[in-house]
Amino acid sequence: MVVTSTARRISFREEVENLLHAQEGVSLVRCIQCATCSAACPAVEFMDHTPRELIALINAGMKDEVMASNTFWTCASCYACSEKCPEGIRPADVMYALTRYSLWRDTFNRDWVAPEFSRRFARTILRTGKSYEPGYAPAFIFEGGFPGMVREMQMALRLLGKGRLPLIPSRMKRIRNLRAMVARVLPLDGIE
Amino acid sequence: MSERKRVLIIDDDPDFVAGIRAILDSQYDTVVAYNPKDGWDALKKDRYDLLCLDIMMGRGAEGVMMARKIRSDKVLREMPVLIITGLREQIAFLFPGQAVHPGFVPVDELVEKPVEPELLLQKAAALIAASEARQGR
Repeated sequence: MVVTSTARRISFREEVENLLHAQEGVSLVRCIQCATCSAACPAVEFMDHTPRELIALINAGMKDEVMASNTFWTCASCYACSEKCPEGIRPADVMYALTRYSLWRDTFNRDWVAPEFSRRFARTILRTGKSYEPGYAPAFIFEGGFPGMVREMQMALRLLGKGRLPLIPSRMKRIRNLRAMVARVLPLDGIE
Repeated sequence: MSERKRVLIIDDDPDFVAGIRAILDSQYDTVVAYNPKDGWDALKKDRYDLLCLDIMMGRGAEGVMMARKIRSDKVLREMPVLIITGLREQIAFLFPGQAVHPGFVPVDELVEKPVEPELLLQKAAALIAASEARQGR
């Protein structure tokens, strides 16, 4: 897709596909709108556009509608859509591509839980090498109102009873090695 | 009159590409690749006098990987590399207040977005001239 100074400007679909250039999967133009991805998605009820609709919007070049959608931030990364797509499209990779796009272009909605959760998750992993669920709770426990808070606390107690929720955060051994690896790919000063 | 110099732009943002192209086209022949793979293919196919490279592309900081690959290539390492980046803003969300590693990208010049047209033309001319002086052309 190398172009010269007289060539046309690339479409939004091509922009998204450029974010996927190194990944498996085929072009989004292959989508036949069968909605298998939407049927397989366990998080679809929380999305404002189903994965099928989102791909149709991308193919139609409706960038503003796509970037305003919460669909890609709602994706649970279960990859059921990618497993089941009869055309070999990998919608879960498309969702990740769009989250990168919205972070790099700073177009995401700061009121949503998912970007903030991603930020906390990345920082926790970088600090300790392990996820620590109780550490995220204070920021999000009020999101579902009082009933949501009660549900979360009941869930936490059940997990505690089964030994699935650590009270004290643990660190992986040789965290310096992980940070050195991250420093190779993430251009941050002060990681090492 | 000497032949117009050739500049390759590897950047995935068509808006930004249109902007810097409008500036560089006045003095250079520009070629664009919108992802690192196409960019690498272009570099292997033709010779360029300057490369303008983006950092955050594809799966992450692929521009950095590409700069390292160029620096370890016997032929391509002679070509000057200019990075124009909004990197500080792009990583500010995940890591607010964290500085960008100064020696992270092995390039000749790193300019932050937004870039002034005059400054871009000056930097491009200086890098090409320095490269030609180095190679005794």
